[in-house]
Amino acid sequence: MAGRNDSGASGKKSSDITNDLQIFNTENLQSNMKVIYYSRTFLSIIGGVIAGILGFTGLTGFIFYFLIMAITSVGLMAKAKFSVQSYFDSWNRILLDGFLGGLMSFVLFWTFAYDIVHIF
Amino acid sequence: MAEDLVLDTAIRDWVLIPLSVVMVLIGILRYFVSKLMRSSQIPDPKIVKEGQVIVRARNLRAGANFIPSKSFRARRVYFSNEENGLLHVPKGQAQNAQAQMFSDPNMAMDMMKKNLSMIIPQTLTFAWVNFFFSGFVAAKIPFPLTQRFRSMLQNGIDLSTVDVSYVSSRSWYFLNLFGLRGLFSLILGEENATDDTQRMMQMGGFGFDPSKSLGAEKDSLDIVQHEWALPKFEQRAETVLKNLVS
Repeated sequence: MAGRNDSGASGKKSSDITNDLQIFNTENLQSNMKVIYYSRTFLSIIGGVIAGILGFTGLTGFIFYFLIMAITSVGLMAKAKFSVQSYFDSWNRILLDGFLGGLMSFVLFWTFAYDIVHIF
Repeated sequence: MAEDLVLDTAIRDWVLIPLSVVMVLIGILRYFVSKLMRSSQIPDPKIVKEGQVIVRARNLRAGANFIPSKSFRARRVYFSNEENGLLHVPKGQAQNAQAQMFSDPNMAMDMMKKNLSMIIPQTLTFAWVNFFFSGFVAAKIPFPLTQRFRSMLQNGIDLSTVDVSYVSSRSWYFLNLFGLRGLFSLILGEENATDDTQRMMQMGGFGFDPSKSLGAEKDSLDIVQHEWALPKFEQRAETVLKNLVS
């Protein structure tokens, strides 16, 4: 996946059990979020092209988008070695961030590929 | 959808694909042109100084719990006391900065360049699309939509009997305009993605009053509840080390 490799520039480990202190390096956190954004955009474009070529219409395509995003989330989690708390400040970052932003790209490329392959 | 329209493959080859490719290329061109025209202005030292003071105060606020309360109080006084604290702005100077901002011609020039580099290609592309591709049914969205979207998607063809999911060429242009943003952020790096928001900030920055943000930072520094976090850390270190040894 493009750009996912530098996810290793991780935030400091929030090493606290006794009292919940947020010890995050802001820059690293932002870089991680940027990686998430990039991988989501990339996958939504690729997913759009795939959905268009396979000829999904209507609800099927959107379900495919959700599926792609779920796979991305799982992939990001695997990249974070399933210890999300040490890289991000909340679960929502991995699960939801960039979800709607990718939808527009997905719809555009879905339409594009679908039209080229199936309509004409 | 009773009957499907049959679209000529020539429309695909000569409308849909060229339009999309041109949109991508124009986006890239715009990025490089605006990069060329960006003038590197030397910022006003006073403004930079105030910005740095705000950053320092913010850092103090973020890390407040990691220093003893005595040290925190000393730092807070340093920033926010009423006589010579760094965040305290005398009343008279408030208007001054704004007037200075307006009198600076570079600033307005820079903004105008940025706006022009956005507007001109868009107008040109729109005119070009209108001129060459008006009236084509160029594409079909693969999902059904309600009638309300007709004006959005079939801009330029006045047929009320065509199914709404068919997209006219002009509306395909608009779809491209919005949907390609993600692609641009991938191929051009993040600068392009932040370009819009930066522009917005510059817009807001025109009437920007540094004393206001200084005052806001001062207020939020004043209400920080200080609680030193470190005393518990000795016990924690003890347990961790014990675990290591045993």
